Amino acid sequence: MMTREQVRKTEGYIALLLCTLAALGGLFWLVFILGDVLVNGIKALSPALFLNDPAPPGVEGGGLRNAFIGQLMITVFATLIGVPVGVLGGTFLAEYARGRRIARVISVLSDIMVSVPSIVIGTFIYAVLVKPVGHFNGWAGAVALAIIMIPVVLRTTENMLALVPWTLREAAFALGAPYYKVITQVVYRGAAAGILTGVLLSIARVAGETAPLLFTSFNNSFFSLNMKGPIASLTVTIFQYAMGPYDDWHAQAWAAAFIITVFILILTIVGRALIKWRYR
Amino acid sequence: MKKIIGLVLSVALILSFGIAGAAETINGAGSSFAYPIYSAWAYDYQKVTGVRLNYQSIGSGGGIRQITERTVDFGASDLPLSPAELKKDGLIQFPAVIGGVVPIVNVPGVKPDQMRLDSQTMCRIYLGELKYWDDPQLRALNPAMNLPHKEITVVHRSDGSGTTAIFTNYLDQTCPEWKKKVGTGVSVKWPVGIGGKGSEGVTNYVRRAGYSVGYVEFAYAQQNRLSYTQLKNPAGHFVSPNFLTFENAANTADFEAKNDFDLMMTNAKGANAWPIAGGTFVLLARDKKDASMKTVKFYDWAFKNGDNKAKELIYVPLPASLKNKIRAYWKANGIY
Amino acid sequence: MPVSSRKNPVDVTFSAITAVASFSVIVLVVGILYVLFSESSLAISKFGVWHFLSSTDWDPVRESFGALTNIYGTVVTTILSLIIAIPVAIGIAIFITEISPNFLKGPIGVAIELLAAIPSIIYGMWGLFALSPIMGNYVEPFLQKMTTGIPLVAFLFQGTPMGIDILTASVILSIMIIPFTASISRDSFNLTPPIVKESAYAVGATKWEVVKNVVLPYSKLGVFGGAVLSLGRALGETMAVAFVLGNDHKITSSLLDAAATITVTLANEFVEADKDIYLSSLFYLALVLFMMSFITLAVAKFFLIRAERRFSR
Repeated sequence: MMTREQVRKTEGYIALLLCTLAALGGLFWLVFILGDVLVNGIKALSPALFLNDPAPPGVEGGGLRNAFIGQLMITVFATLIGVPVGVLGGTFLAEYARGRRIARVISVLSDIMVSVPSIVIGTFIYAVLVKPVGHFNGWAGAVALAIIMIPVVLRTTENMLALVPWTLREAAFALGAPYYKVITQVVYRGAAAGILTGVLLSIARVAGETAPLLFTSFNNSFFSLNMKGPIASLTVTIFQYAMGPYDDWHAQAWAAAFIITVFILILTIVGRALIKWRYR
Repeated sequence: MKKIIGLVLSVALILSFGIAGAAETINGAGSSFAYPIYSAWAYDYQKVTGVRLNYQSIGSGGGIRQITERTVDFGASDLPLSPAELKKDGLIQFPAVIGGVVPIVNVPGVKPDQMRLDSQTMCRIYLGELKYWDDPQLRALNPAMNLPHKEITVVHRSDGSGTTAIFTNYLDQTCPEWKKKVGTGVSVKWPVGIGGKGSEGVTNYVRRAGYSVGYVEFAYAQQNRLSYTQLKNPAGHFVSPNFLTFENAANTADFEAKNDFDLMMTNAKGANAWPIAGGTFVLLARDKKDASMKTVKFYDWAFKNGDNKAKELIYVPLPASLKNKIRAYWKANGIY
Repeated sequence: MPVSSRKNPVDVTFSAITAVASFSVIVLVVGILYVLFSESSLAISKFGVWHFLSSTDWDPVRESFGALTNIYGTVVTTILSLIIAIPVAIGIAIFITEISPNFLKGPIGVAIELLAAIPSIIYGMWGLFALSPIMGNYVEPFLQKMTTGIPLVAFLFQGTPMGIDILTASVILSIMIIPFTASISRDSFNLTPPIVKESAYAVGATKWEVVKNVVLPYSKLGVFGGAVLSLGRALGETMAVAFVLGNDHKITSSLLDAAATITVTLANEFVEADKDIYLSSLFYLALVLFMMSFITLAVAKFFLIRAERRFSR
């Protein structure tokens, strides 16, 4: 028979052991997934992957140049649309509408929008920007990603601006500066690192999105810089190639997965490091 | 921050100037059945002419949809549209190449081209009525085979697929009950079985499940060394799927320009014809004349230079007489 | 509004621009609802609301569509993945906040957050190539063997183990939401005032008793909100499940059967739908999904806000 004391202790050990196992399990998956992506991805890396466009199945030497450039263009344009809207929107919530009910409503709505299924945004953009225009186009993809970015950037901006001490603004007001000048020259400067982190994380978020691109920017087996036409992206290419029947497609899908994962992890790490460096 | 934005903007500007010099592109989408050959042709065509044909295999249903919506320059479908449907959506249509669908089985000990099946058994298997491999009907067709008492796992396509259209049309024509319960289509409501996305999914399931049956394009079955079967054709012969039996089916098919080549080639009459062969069709929009002319130029080139490539991938090129009929059809529609 | 800014015209313009930018969020929510609604009006008028939601029919040839098989797939995969994910996630959060030595807290926290940053398509692809064979060859036959004969469980594992089914999809989904749930739970745990924990230790409580009787009750609102938020995430996840679910429109009791979720159906069939009513039904599905996840997320947000308020007081 165990004493009450021992039972309590044993129960504690078992529970804590389970928690530790859970943590180890979480790490195990990370190592497993990253390991697979690393091993299979690096194996498939070659100069041809970056320099050539896709060849039809069975023809040697195909690459994914079109998808790399396409992904870059869609992401850059999404950032150009999403970041200004997000930063300005966040500014309104944290500055002009601070403490008002409307600010609360918008920030709650944004939090919800952050997690709204991205494929729904794809269908929405198909109805608004693809069907009326008459063809799949890169802009539609960029806008779809921008819609996903806006709430992310907006919320981080709001939070970061709120962290800037109010006294700083008062000091600037006292010098007779109008509010917009205070915001752009004092508040933004104070919150720059935080906002930049938000931007980086939002880019990391959309760079891996596939679902909203399936019906918008679609895919293109050739190199194209034309945002008005269908454009290739790494993620849609991964979907197509991984589901496809050919071994060299699978290898290229791994390589693409490797590149995109590395890119996103670097962005995430830089973003986190930046915010630690600034706020600790 | 400002510097970064400036930099990005100037990059964007440079990129948008780059667009002006972009090469001519034709956008097409649809049939995955035709994807290997179209992409191979497109690859060669770009080398010769510099014109890019961007073909995306999204399934035949998608090909019909996207050309109807005019989101692409041409659509590709293995299920031909009727003249009435074409008229309604302002489309024209012609066949481009011919191929075959084959049943594949995974029963231990059964090798490619061994098992014999007919339309009756296929129909009953896909209706879920014929449940075991040692069913008397199957044993009668394969007296020499030692078939096990195991349940049949039926595998079909889950996405909108021309392969499905050809396959279901084959069952539809030979089996009244199929016609009543299911019908022909790029995607149908399957009475039984599991659905794999694309030929890859079907193969994956057939391989993993064991004691299973599925259907894929022949080129695919061959590349992956799957156990395809023989089939009894309407002439009463058991035939193996190969280039000759597909060609035989193609030769007995009666494509006519006056009904926009609307013809399913299943159950072709030839004595040596494979019963589940089918053409794959190109759909063009009447109101997108420029795009249609560019597309036609590509297919004209492929008809002249692409036959060997097609044979390599085990498709049957169209007979010369049919190619001429199609050229006349293009001319009549003012796009050639 | 602390300072009057009406006098400066630049300021008025600037504030107007920021206002427009932030109202874009409202415009988007309303716009998405409106567009999905109008695009699906054809299907709504043909199938109605109740019939669409309760019909298991998904028949493109006869043009008869119902959402129930898709809703079923969505709900089952989501719930199953949460059953797997939540205990593990809470375990991880407890480990990070209470057990781990200080020098490990940072690295493990970062690792978990990196796991959260990996895009879902990578999970999906990895699931198809790496996890699905493991599930099909080892895990599922094992589960089947273990459960044969047990009356209320055996039916869950009937059929042929292929690794492309509800179970595999749920496992991938759970791996995907674990880091997300874990980091929210960790943040909630960290809100427990140290003084309360210290007093519990002072009266002789073991570490586990502190966690169980002090930390968990203190943070249950936050953890619950986090769980619901993960639910919202899982509902709308597409790529992680698209590779391994099999896309089959049927309601099945076995976890080893293929199924379809709303998201996977959209991803597979949206550009393929050949008829107007088909496409309209897909928009209708998207509308249903949007409402489902919006409501779930709103509920989650409600709990998280209440949790925050409790501590900010």
